[in-house]
Amino acid sequence: MPDELTTYCENTWCPGCGNFGLFNSVKKAIKQLGGKGVARSDLFMCAGIGCHGKIFDYLAVSGFYALHGRSMALAQGVKLANPSLKVFTFCGDGDAYGEGLEHMLFAAKRNAGITVIVHNNGVYGLTVGQFTPVSKRGFKGPSSPRGNVEEPLNPLALMLEAGATFVARGYSGKPDHLADIFARAMMHEGFAYVDVLQPCVSFNDTYKLYNEKVEIVSGPPKTREEALALVKRGGKIPIGVFWEEKREPYHRALMGERNPVLNRQPRGERISKVKQLLEG
Amino acid sequence: MAKDVFTFMVGGKAGEGVKKAGNAAANLFASRGFSVFQYDDYQSLIRGGHNFSVVSASARPLSSHYMHADLVVNIDARSYELHRSHVADGGILVRNSDLVKDGDGVGIPMTSLAKECEHPALITGVGSFVMLCAALGMNWADTAKVVESEYRRELQDNIAYAEAIHELAWPSFGGKFKLENGGKVRPMLYGNEAIALGAAAGGLDIYVAYPMTPASSILHYLASHSEDLGIAVMHPENEIAVANMAIGAASAGARTMVGSSGGGFALMEEAISLAGMTETPLLLVLSSRPGPSTGVPTYSAQGDLNFALGQGHGDFPKIVASPSSASEAFRLTAEMLDLAWKFQVPAILLTEKHLAESRMSVDIDTDKTAWAEGMSHGKGEYKRYLDTPEGISPLMFPPSAELIKWNSYEHDEKGITSDAPETIVRMHDKRARKASSLENHLKGLNTVNVFGTGKRSIFAYGSTVMSVIEAVKSGGLDAKIVQPIYLDPLPLEELSKHAADAAIVVEQSSTGQFARLLRERAGIKVSKVIAKYDGRPFEPAELAAQLKGAL
Repeated sequence: MPDELTTYCENTWCPGCGNFGLFNSVKKAIKQLGGKGVARSDLFMCAGIGCHGKIFDYLAVSGFYALHGRSMALAQGVKLANPSLKVFTFCGDGDAYGEGLEHMLFAAKRNAGITVIVHNNGVYGLTVGQFTPVSKRGFKGPSSPRGNVEEPLNPLALMLEAGATFVARGYSGKPDHLADIFARAMMHEGFAYVDVLQPCVSFNDTYKLYNEKVEIVSGPPKTREEALALVKRGGKIPIGVFWEEKREPYHRALMGERNPVLNRQPRGERISKVKQLLEG
Repeated sequence: MAKDVFTFMVGGKAGEGVKKAGNAAANLFASRGFSVFQYDDYQSLIRGGHNFSVVSASARPLSSHYMHADLVVNIDARSYELHRSHVADGGILVRNSDLVKDGDGVGIPMTSLAKECEHPALITGVGSFVMLCAALGMNWADTAKVVESEYRRELQDNIAYAEAIHELAWPSFGGKFKLENGGKVRPMLYGNEAIALGAAAGGLDIYVAYPMTPASSILHYLASHSEDLGIAVMHPENEIAVANMAIGAASAGARTMVGSSGGGFALMEEAISLAGMTETPLLLVLSSRPGPSTGVPTYSAQGDLNFALGQGHGDFPKIVASPSSASEAFRLTAEMLDLAWKFQVPAILLTEKHLAESRMSVDIDTDKTAWAEGMSHGKGEYKRYLDTPEGISPLMFPPSAELIKWNSYEHDEKGITSDAPETIVRMHDKRARKASSLENHLKGLNTVNVFGTGKRSIFAYGSTVMSVIEAVKSGGLDAKIVQPIYLDPLPLEELSKHAADAAIVVEQSSTGQFARLLRERAGIKVSKVIAKYDGRPFEPAELAAQLKGAL
């Protein structure tokens, strides 16, 4: 549906793609943020490369369509330059958990003030169906015709261990629940991470599985250990906010309330500082 | 100082205060109004090994150290073996008589005199500095004053040790040289400090880097002055993060610089193409050391010229330029930051360990420094990639009601992804026009330095120019030195003025990368390439002899 949050770009996601649900949830969350005093102009989005990244072209929000795996690093640079912006980035599971895993670990470690939304479909869709770091062992794709021989990562456990201060999982098939998670994540001051279960109708159709197994958890667990136990448990697939805590975000720890872009030193002041250093 | 150039050399193990002694000596000369060049030779280790520092000073402008010294102090036996031949005619050789019992020169028991001190190894450097003071005829009272200002930590030990050294040294060579006053007192900067301060003077907001020698001291300097300069400094997980963060920061409006050496810079290359496609202004420092690969971390080379010129996949405009002194590094860094912003391109400041980590007298006019400004969008609908006659699309930064879309994919004017053939061509042509605008703009800037008025041309770039200038001066050679400051776009018109006769090329590359560039791109006839690729900078006297042969 064309609306004020959708651009003129032709949408080329496959019919039935989980990205549609996710896209609608993002737009709903942005409207919720509007009610909380966060204008669309304060938002800055990034995206990696993959089917997920097309959201950059469709969503009418300013931002940067970055490189595969690097959008989390780029987003941190935006936040450092102007901490008054709400910076969020869309990643794919190959993008975030493969190519760009180190940026994600370090963003969590330093509590960077960005929100990372991972479109987790368990497959490289845009490059036609290879296994990703979270594909099940035995997954058959063009690069693993006899079945993937690696065990999958548990990215939620990894993020909890790395020190992420907001960890959640949603399902594109439950768009209202997902929208609430997105809005909460974007209002979180530190590093917020949302893994989104998102079926790929062409290469990894998980709608049936998720509709049967997904289970909304009530409040977040009391401790990080309980959260870890929850994301590691078998059986039903929990969705919801698993962990949330307040911790000073990186930009404030590094430079207090300074905003490099908004508080630029005028030339005269800068030159006189340089002169002082030159003259020792 | 009746001599044209006075040189002090001190050698010892890492951890014996060798570099500090060089620093103190350089400060002493600088404070008397001399032009000073300090070269620190060190290995990639923290303790032991062999380090030495050479400080040359002159009443005339000086652009290199000399390896023949008027005073050579050897703190350990290895230094004595390596540097006993570096004493100039009429110079003084000092050995540590605790470690080299019998030998040439003056023996001073530097180790046993230090035994009483808390840090006996570290303090030996103080001793070598005191010997310089004695050789220059400074009495104990004056010497004590400079020791006090240079060596503030554990001052009591330092003073006691210094006095003991002074008393032993004075009878042997006290006042052998006379230190007169030079001219105007000028500050001294390491090349990396000049780059950091030049960037600051040019309006830098953010510096992002991962440590790698010889670029690291830019990071250290800016981190230590982050608060007073109002520059945010970040050291993230790796160079890939560095480059991408910097691009993100620039897209939010921050003047941003990054720095690394070969290997780390290689990790940034994908992001350089990203800056090319997204038209993000970004200044990158490539500080070279001998490669390939890990190579020789603490030494100098010019083997990264082709690497700098060939950065990035795909066709897009960029800037590569290389300074030939700390003063020029200051000016050029600010200028390149401005150019990166004016033309929304990645700009690479190429330098080498020999400039980055050598310390020299500077003449800097901060008021004439460029200040980075890009073209801003006025009113109305915003198109990030507006197709203009100059190829430059106005900039706009968040927060804004207008949509600002930076895109790594090929894109339309609004920044929405496109694979339409006419859009691909249109955007390539727009970026190409930007390259032409840049070339035109450079015609109004100083893109080539010419030193001297001799007939034959010697071509050099970067830190090598410093050695060549000094070689031509000290050798009394009839030659002019031509230095392209800008290497991409190469100032062909300016260079063509020096293309008439066969030229000599001096560079620190084993395959002659610079000579090939001059031949293939600028049509320069190269009769001889003097190449040095042992990691050490050219020594002026040695180079003068080579140039004499070639001329």
